[in-house]
Amino acid sequence: MAECIIETRGVTRSYGEICALKPLDLQVRDGEWLAVMGHSGSGKSTLLNLLGGLDRPDGGSLVVGGVDLATLGEDGLARFRRERVGIIFQQHHLIPHLSAVENVMMAQYFHSVPDEAEAKVALQRVGLGHRLRNRPGELSGGEQQRVCIARAIINSPRILLADEPTGNLDHASTVVVLELLSELRAEERFTIVMVTHNQEVASRGERTIFLDDGILVREELSGR
Amino acid sequence: MIAILKVITPLLCWGGMMLSLARGIGSGPTLLAGGCGALFLTGSLLPLLVPSPLLVVAFKGVTAAAFAILWLASIGGIHGAGGEARVGHAAGPLAGRGGAFLASLLAGAGVGCILVPAGGVAQPMALMAAAVAGVSLAVAGAFAGRFLPRWFAPSGTGLWALILALLLCIASSSPRLDLFSPLTMRVMKFIHDFVHQFFESMLLPDHPFIRPRVWEYIGILFSSGVGFWGGVVLFFAPVGFIATAIRLTPLPSVAHIRRGAERRLLMASYIRQRRHQQAAPILAAAVLSLAIYQSRFPSVDYWDPAPVKVTADAAGKILIPEKGEPEIGDGRMHKFVYSHGGTEARFFVLAKEDGEYAVTLDACSICKPEGYGQGESALICYYCKTLIPLDTVGKPGGCNPVPLPFRREKGGVAIDAPLLLRSWDETVQATAGGGGERR
Ligand SMILES: Nc1ncnc2c1ncn2[C@@H]1O[C@H](COP(=O)(O)OP(=O)(O)OP(=O)(O)O)[C@@H](O)[C@H]1O
Ligand SMILES: [Mg+2]
Repeated sequence: MAECIIETRGVTRSYGEICALKPLDLQVRDGEWLAVMGHSGSGKSTLLNLLGGLDRPDGGSLVVGGVDLATLGEDGLARFRRERVGIIFQQHHLIPHLSAVENVMMAQYFHSVPDEAEAKVALQRVGLGHRLRNRPGELSGGEQQRVCIARAIINSPRILLADEPTGNLDHASTVVVLELLSELRAEERFTIVMVTHNQEVASRGERTIFLDDGILVREELSGR
Repeated sequence: MIAILKVITPLLCWGGMMLSLARGIGSGPTLLAGGCGALFLTGSLLPLLVPSPLLVVAFKGVTAAAFAILWLASIGGIHGAGGEARVGHAAGPLAGRGGAFLASLLAGAGVGCILVPAGGVAQPMALMAAAVAGVSLAVAGAFAGRFLPRWFAPSGTGLWALILALLLCIASSSPRLDLFSPLTMRVMKFIHDFVHQFFESMLLPDHPFIRPRVWEYIGILFSSGVGFWGGVVLFFAPVGFIATAIRLTPLPSVAHIRRGAERRLLMASYIRQRRHQQAAPILAAAVLSLAIYQSRFPSVDYWDPAPVKVTADAAGKILIPEKGEPEIGDGRMHKFVYSHGGTEARFFVLAKEDGEYAVTLDACSICKPEGYGQGESALICYYCKTLIPLDTVGKPGGCNPVPLPFRREKGGVAIDAPLLLRSWDETVQATAGGGGERR
C-alpha cells in the first residue's frame, strides 16, 4: 500500500450538544480517489472541513500531507490551506464581479503572486478558454464549477477536497465535471476526497466510505 | 551622574546600531559583541587621552567622510539596474566587520565627547559609566539580533544608511558634535556665494526697474529656510536613493521552474525579501528626522536673559552701571537692547574670568542675528550652533560675536550709541543679505 497522505486517529468534533463526528479513524492513500457518502447531517462536511484545515478537531490527531495539523498555529494553518489543499464546494463561492480569469488569479494572489498567463492556461485546461472574461453570473452551473476546479488546482495542491461538487448539476454537466477531475488527477496525481449523495458519482472513486451520525459505518471498494 | 542623562539618546542609538549590525552582517554574535564592545569602550575612554576639541574634530570629520561615501554608494546604487546588489557586493568585505568596528569606535568617541563639558576636562567616572553601559548594550544587542522580526533584513547599503543615521543621531544630541547645523551653514554659504557670483559676473540684470522684482525671488534664496531645507535634502537624499535602488533591483529569474505554483511561491519570496529590505532605509529616515529635530532643538539649557532696554544720553553715550540690576560682573552674559529709528540693536556684556569685560553685539558677522546663549564655559550661536569658548569672547572673527569698542568708567561700562547702531546695521546687512528679514 502506498504511503498515506491523510491519516486521522480518533478525530472528534462537536457543536455544543451535537456530536457531528464521533472518534474517527481514516487513512487515505496518496493519489487515491475517496468518496464520502451518508445522509444529511451525518458529518461529511465537518470531516472535509477538518481535512482542509478550515476547522480544528476537538480531539484526536490529524496528519494531512505529512503535517500534523495540531502543531500548526493560525498562520501555519492558513499557509497549509494555501499550499497543500484545493477546495471545491457545491455553492461555487466565486467572486461575482470578477471575471473567470480574475477569480483564478485571486487564488494565485493569496497563494503567492498572480500570473495571468498561467491562470488562462488553467482555464483552457478545464475547457473554458473561450469564457475567460465572463463573470460567474454569465456562466452556466457546470461552467462555474469548472472555474472552481481551475481555481482549486491552480496552486498545485496535493489534495483536492470537493463537497458535493456536482450537487447542483444536471447529468450531462456532472459527467463533464467528473471526466475533467479524472483527467486532471491522472496528470497531476493529486488525492481527491469527494462528498456526494449520488451513488453513481461515488462510484467514480476507488473507495467509498459511509458516515452515519458521525461514525464511519462501512466502506466499499469500487468495482472499476 | 546627571551627566549620564545627556547620553541616554546616544546610548539608545548605540543599542540600535548593535541590533542592526547583529542582523545585518554575517559575523557571529560573540565576535560582534566582543569587537564592537571593545571598540566602543576604547572610543568612550578616548577623551581621557586625547584633548576633546581634537576628538570632536576627528569624530565629525570621519562621520562626515563616511556620510559622503554613503552618498556616492547610494548614487552608484541607482545608476543602472542591479546597482544596489553590485555596490553591496563590492563594499561587502570592507563594510562588514571593519565598518562595524569603525562605527563602534565612533559611537564610543561620540558618547565620550558628549560627556566632556565644552572647554572642561573629562570626568573619568562619567566616562567609565558610559563605557560600561555601552559594552553591556553591545553584548545585549549582538545577541538580541536574532529576536528581531523577520522583516528586518537590510541590504548592504540599507544597513549602512541606518548605522550612519544612528551615528548622526548620536552626534546631533550635542551641539558640539552636531553635523546637521554645519551642513545647513555650508548650504547657506554656498547658495549665497553662488548668487553673489552671479551678480559679480553680471549674469543677473541690475537695473533699477528690474531689481526689486528680481530681489523678490533672490530673497527666497537668502531666507533662513534655504539652508535648513537644503540640509534636509542632502541628509535624506542617500536614503531616498537607496530605497529607489532597492525598488529597481531586478528579481532573480524564476523561469527555470516548470510548476506554476512553485514558481510563483519563489517569486513571492523574492518580492517579499526585496520589500523587507526597505525597512532599513525607512528606519534610517526616521532616525535622521530625530537627528534633525535634536539639532534644531538642542535639549541643553542655555542662560539667555531677556535684553534690558537702555537709552543714550544727549552725547550719545550708553552707560551700563556695574552695580545694580543686572549685575554685569557676575560672569554671566547680560543682554541689552538699544532702540533708535526703528533699529533695535542687541548687545551683551560679559565679565570674564580675568575680570575683564567683553562687550559685543548679540550677533556675529556670518550668521543671521539669532543671538547667543551661554552654556558651560562657552557661548553658543543659536543660528549655527557653534560654541564660542568664553575666553575668546570679545575677539573678532568667525562666528564670534562682533566686539564693540567700550570704555570702563567709574561705576560702569560706556558704549557709543551711534557706533553701536552702525556696527549693528553693518553686521545685520552683511548677514541678512540685502533686505532679508530681521528679527
Ligand atoms: N457550524 C455549526 N454549528 C452547529 N452545528 C453544526 C455546524 N456545522 C454542522 N453542524 C451540525 O453538525 C452535524 C453534521 O453536519 P455536516 O454539515 O457535517 O453534515 P453533512 O453530512 O455535510 O450534511 P449535508 O449532506 O446536509 O451537507 C449536523 O447535525 C449539523 O447540524
Ligand atoms: Mg454537507
